[in-house]
Amino acid sequence: MKRLVIAVAILALAGCGGEAVVPAGQEAHGHGASSAAPPVPGASARFNDADVTFVQMMVDHLQLGVSLSQVGLAKATSKEAKDLAGAIDVTQREELTMLKSWLKLWNKPEGDGANLHTAHGGQPLLDDKVINETKDKSGAEFDQLFLNLMAGHQGAGVEMALTEKKDGMNPETTAYAERVVTSRQGQIAQMLKIIGGA
Amino acid sequence: MKLMRKAALLMAAVPAIVLITPVGSASAHGYVSSPASRSAQCARGDISVDLCGQAKYEPQSAEGPKGLRNCSGGNKDFGPLDNDGLPWKVTNTGQTLSLTWTFTARHATRDYEYFIGGTRVGYVAGNNQQPNNPTTHTINLGGFSGRQKLFAIWNIGDTVNAFYSCIDLNINGGGTTPPPTTTTTTPPPTTTTSSTTTPPPAGGTWAANTSYATGQTVTYGGSTYRCRQAHTSLTGWEPPNVAALWEKI
Repeated sequence: MKRLVIAVAILALAGCGGEAVVPAGQEAHGHGASSAAPPVPGASARFNDADVTFVQMMVDHLQLGVSLSQVGLAKATSKEAKDLAGAIDVTQREELTMLKSWLKLWNKPEGDGANLHTAHGGQPLLDDKVINETKDKSGAEFDQLFLNLMAGHQGAGVEMALTEKKDGMNPETTAYAERVVTSRQGQIAQMLKIIGGA
Repeated sequence: MKLMRKAALLMAAVPAIVLITPVGSASAHGYVSSPASRSAQCARGDISVDLCGQAKYEPQSAEGPKGLRNCSGGNKDFGPLDNDGLPWKVTNTGQTLSLTWTFTARHATRDYEYFIGGTRVGYVAGNNQQPNNPTTHTINLGGFSGRQKLFAIWNIGDTVNAFYSCIDLNINGGGTTPPPTTTTTTPPPTTTTSSTTTPPPAGGTWAANTSYATGQTVTYGGSTYRCRQAHTSLTGWEPPNVAALWEKI
């Protein structure tokens, strides 16, 4: 307990530039491996506020992306759009599992992602209403709307990941942020080529 | 010990601090995605990252004060967008052009303006509302012809800033390529390029920008993986990084 208090004190004293250490004995490495699911990569114990904020915001961001992907899977007419929706769906679910396990390890709440976005000056592109409204479209019109929204949404993810690369300190989290930058950039390139013509 | 108790008390205030701390680069943004603006061409990889700079990663962030007539918003990280010498793709069009914006955040909008040189050829009021999804405008190019640079400007309602996109146009066939009138705004047919339709041989080495079907196998880093979900591969989705897409066998 004393150790936890010290960790908390370090974080509090240092404010936003602070870092924290998970109490000894609570580090998790690859937990979740007991089930049939692939093992979840563990995060190491040293992290700062930027890591936590990024992971909390990403949890909300990924969930919205999964919701939109589900609509895309159900309604997209082109194979490219449907495949992309399916791949974003499964990869982001995997990322969600990983990020939630990190928050648990760090003893941080999943947080209220929507409020975090607003507090950080964002006016997120997606919310439940916007996602629901896409269901009114069909055919090529749906594909264009879906790809346009997803390209924008993933672009916002790149911005968050670039901030984490600059301000974060947890090695697994910054490495994940790097993968977000490259994988979303690749997805956006695919989408823009469909939207704007090759 | 006294200090520590104080610190513990302070801790109670930390969540509030986190919530109100603004993060500089997280309040975005938008760009013209169809026809592909210079920013979009950078994000698509049409122009190499060495030439594009930051626009490859943040095509939506060419932001600057309102009233500019450039492609970067005067933002030096986006300076390459102002370089007319780069090999930008040119869109053939007639006098009428439809443009679609892609947003990463829905700022309240003052208006949209479209300029060729000093002439405003298009204006769409925003009424300080959040933009529609999608936002597509059809504008008349005001009698201009030949090779022109169109400035597309999204003026934000609640900040002093605007977002800038440039689209290179060839109007009314002023160049060597005959202009197909409206093809630039029509959704492309659902075909893929040859690089994404040719299935790699079973057991081939994983490569980016390749269409993989469920069940196909590849090697990567000395291991073999089976595709679990049809997709077009990309950097960042290497098999060891995405167990959701690739099962190690």
